[in-house]
Amino acid sequence: MKKKFDNVDRLYKVFIYVALITLAISIIVPVAWVFMASIKENKEFYSNPWALPAGFYFQNFINAFEKASMGSYFFNSVISTALALIILLVVSLPASYVLARYKFKGKRILNTLFMAGLFINVNYIVVPIFLMLMGWDDTLNISFFLDNIVVLAVVYASTAIPFTVYLLSSYFQTLPKAYEEAALIDGCGYFKTMIKVMIPMAKPSIVTVILFNFLAFWNEYIIALTLMSGSNRTLPVGLLALMQASRGKAEYGMMYAGLVIVMLPTLILYIMVQKKLTQGMTLGGLKD
Amino acid sequence: MNKTKEKRRFIWICLAPATILFTVFMIIPTINVFWMSTLKWGGLSANKTFVGFNNFITAFQDMNFIHALQNTILIIAVVTVITMALAIIFASILVREKIKGQNFFRIIFYIPNILSVVVISSIFGAIYDSSNNGLLNSMISLFKPETWETIQFLGNQDIVLYAVIGALVWQAIGYYMVMYMASMSSIPEHLYESASLDGAGKFRQFFSITLPMIWDNIRTTLTFFVISTINISFLLVNALTSGGPDGASQTVLGYIYKQAYNNASYGYGMAIAAIVFIFSFVLSFILNKSTERDPIEL
Amino acid sequence: MNTKKVLSLGLSVLMCGTLLAGCGGNKEEKGADASGKTLKIAGLDGGYGTKGWEAVAKKFEELKGCKVELQFEKNIADTLRPVITSGKDVPDVIYLSIGAEGGLTDTLVKEKAITDISSLLDMTIPGEKGTVKEKILPGFTDSFTSSPYSDGKLYLAPINYSPCGLFYNAGLFKSKGWEVPKTWDEMFELGEKAKKEGIALFTYPTTGYFDAFFSALLNEAVGPEKYNKLMNYDTATWKDAGVKKAFDTVGKLAKYIEKNTVSNANKEGFTKNQQLILDNKALFCPNGTWLPGEMKDAPRAKGFEWGFTALPKLTADGDAYSTTFSEQLYIPTKSNKDNKELAKEFIAYCYSDEAAKLFYENGGAVMPTANATALIKDDDANKLFYSVVEKGAKTNPVGFAAADAIEGVDLTSADGILYGTVNSVMTGKKTVDQWYDAVIKAVQKYDK
Repeated sequence: MKKKFDNVDRLYKVFIYVALITLAISIIVPVAWVFMASIKENKEFYSNPWALPAGFYFQNFINAFEKASMGSYFFNSVISTALALIILLVVSLPASYVLARYKFKGKRILNTLFMAGLFINVNYIVVPIFLMLMGWDDTLNISFFLDNIVVLAVVYASTAIPFTVYLLSSYFQTLPKAYEEAALIDGCGYFKTMIKVMIPMAKPSIVTVILFNFLAFWNEYIIALTLMSGSNRTLPVGLLALMQASRGKAEYGMMYAGLVIVMLPTLILYIMVQKKLTQGMTLGGLKD
Repeated sequence: MNKTKEKRRFIWICLAPATILFTVFMIIPTINVFWMSTLKWGGLSANKTFVGFNNFITAFQDMNFIHALQNTILIIAVVTVITMALAIIFASILVREKIKGQNFFRIIFYIPNILSVVVISSIFGAIYDSSNNGLLNSMISLFKPETWETIQFLGNQDIVLYAVIGALVWQAIGYYMVMYMASMSSIPEHLYESASLDGAGKFRQFFSITLPMIWDNIRTTLTFFVISTINISFLLVNALTSGGPDGASQTVLGYIYKQAYNNASYGYGMAIAAIVFIFSFVLSFILNKSTERDPIEL
Repeated sequence: MNTKKVLSLGLSVLMCGTLLAGCGGNKEEKGADASGKTLKIAGLDGGYGTKGWEAVAKKFEELKGCKVELQFEKNIADTLRPVITSGKDVPDVIYLSIGAEGGLTDTLVKEKAITDISSLLDMTIPGEKGTVKEKILPGFTDSFTSSPYSDGKLYLAPINYSPCGLFYNAGLFKSKGWEVPKTWDEMFELGEKAKKEGIALFTYPTTGYFDAFFSALLNEAVGPEKYNKLMNYDTATWKDAGVKKAFDTVGKLAKYIEKNTVSNANKEGFTKNQQLILDNKALFCPNGTWLPGEMKDAPRAKGFEWGFTALPKLTADGDAYSTTFSEQLYIPTKSNKDNKELAKEFIAYCYSDEAAKLFYENGGAVMPTANATALIKDDDANKLFYSVVEKGAKTNPVGFAAADAIEGVDLTSADGILYGTVNSVMTGKKTVDQWYDAVIKAVQKYDK
């Protein structure tokens, strides 16, 4: 009897490992393949695409940086992403905190409004945003709002507010009341309590928010394509152009090098913060 | 200073920046989408004609739009069911079982979610390649005789949508798995211990403890599934098949672009955008209401 | 209705800001000093590359003393769309074909947002004595792609013409002892022969290439007079038995299509389909003369040699057609008023012998002038392609007349009802009759 039970248990374990390993392989192999392809010479692409690279052909990366000016796009992406994250946190943290922990008139309406914002898709509001910015430029007779990396960052931050406020306020709701009360009794003002006591306690959630939005901003290309009409491209927009160019010319190595250049920063950030990720993902129920 | 007044000031100072940015860059543009949906306009010139609800009436008679909407609904349904099931199973394995390399698996599974859609479509372009060099086709041909015809993952109109779904599930599992893990790990251990003493096996424990305890979380993710699948399926299809062959994998957002740009019908595209907005809102609302359960007493 | 129109117009001014009134072409600036002016030219970095444009722009700068700014990109339609909507810094000259990905030029035509450049024809070419009209090959300026509104006025200047037809591996034909088919019957016979050798008869890059291919076929089926009516959405003519024959011919091709073609018939995979010709996996592929340049770095079968032919004839005593594809150069109405004359001069200059030579030597583009065609040397591979007309094929203009957009009915784009459905016909998802009926239904909506 006992033996049979052991067998079933062992079978179950084997099954679990097979499932886990299969999924892991299905992820590792394609990603590794992109890395491998990025160091292949062009002629290698016409033989079996799953063959290992013959050597380390670093020229692909040099080409991507020089010919396709991925270097300056990279810089633009870093600036717009970093700036957007800062703006997003500065405006969202206080709002989420207040929405989660204070009672006031209009709270329900605001909550509903932010919740409805989750359903707005940037793909179709991007042109209206563009027309609005252009209208501002025209009214003020300046040329400021378009093709401006700071404005791009503001738009990024704004479109991420609903989701961020939702995540952060869900987390704030789980924090015990005692800390706040103690701080207020100690004579801390509202602002000080929020900044010194409550926000540091939300650190896991903040890390999650940073990661999610970093990924969203870094990989975004539809807004960037529309609002940045000049040479101020961001990395994903540059990558798209590079891909179109390399298909015609069959410069596959350079194309995959471009993919790696886009992918690497996200991988590095993820590995750095992955431990905190599970802690910060506290989701509240959606209330209408 | 008056305490309530100070408090009120604090509340509004905290809320103002987020509310203003949100209003200016999301609500006003959305209102504009609704306004433009009543225009006959090509998008490039100043020739605009107000046509009222004509665009909406046209949309519901436009078989291509209906087809794209059906595709999107199918994608949402299948991606949600498969991804959710797999994500919950893998999450509960990683949380409940003693597994070697637990951390390793957790880290790896999330990776597809951090990749740009451009990268994902390149990867799946190579996986689904219809020649013998395609990853899937070359693997299948190992088990099949010489005469084996390669599968046209992206060329067969009956398969292409499922090929797209495969890629979407691949990229979403890790994301939802981490979400479910977060809420599973907060389930108190003693519940499992007492259930175990009562003789409940692993499966019983899963259905009577794990699932009910993360139910609220599951309901919330339903809304995320609706929102993100509409968005990502568009980006992926756009890069992988451009909606083809002959519209077989077209999504509603893709159809907006096709009409607005390729058919010089920008106002019509915005009418479809308005429909998509309302559709996703209503669908999430229905899902949310229909999954309501009484909260569990601990 | 009228008040509504006025209202929406007023609102659109509010929303869009700039509304440039039709800019007068009566401002005589001929020969005026252009120094200090900057001419902005934007265009597609396409099959011919950008070197030709750089060289021509430089010469034009020297000639006129102005500055020429070039913006050439692969995804120029995406880049220009917001710029044109905004009406700010709109390029003075745009080089982007009708039917190009993104549909930008098509939309501009439909929205009547392109400047009338009829006066270009009587302009003296800068640096030369003759006028543009004398230079340009006959037939080019009255096609629907140049004069889309049938009002006798020129809006888009035709440049870079290239015969489109079927490309094949001449080396393979030689080694197998096959003849290039003259009629469609012979074509399908060859299809059977090739099938036995494991080679498919036909492939196509994307359905977008059917505009050139299918319109030549239509022309063969009904002749130029009716063809012109077809392009004007004349429903009665579309119901002509000859038209159906053209549809049926494409339907027959479905039997001989290379099996991976549909999978790759999108912007991600179309080069894989073109590669099939180089690898001897398919015999014929419709394309334009830029193809050999586009595929010049790709590996190829031993003994490969580009071959090019007009479409086979439908009947033995019929005509063979080769579509003449030309690209377009135009001035958007929203561009800077003060630069319009200079922009026209630039376009005129493109037809000069000097410019034609620069275009040809830097990228292989051929301007539609007699002297440009003469530039093609005997030993040049291009000679073969451009001599298709000398060999008896008739030329066929491509493109529909301009029509107001009809919401939800996309007839003519690459993914539209007329061409996009070809993918479904090839996979067998739709029958030829279904395709044909859908086209008739759509044409009826455009027929006024």
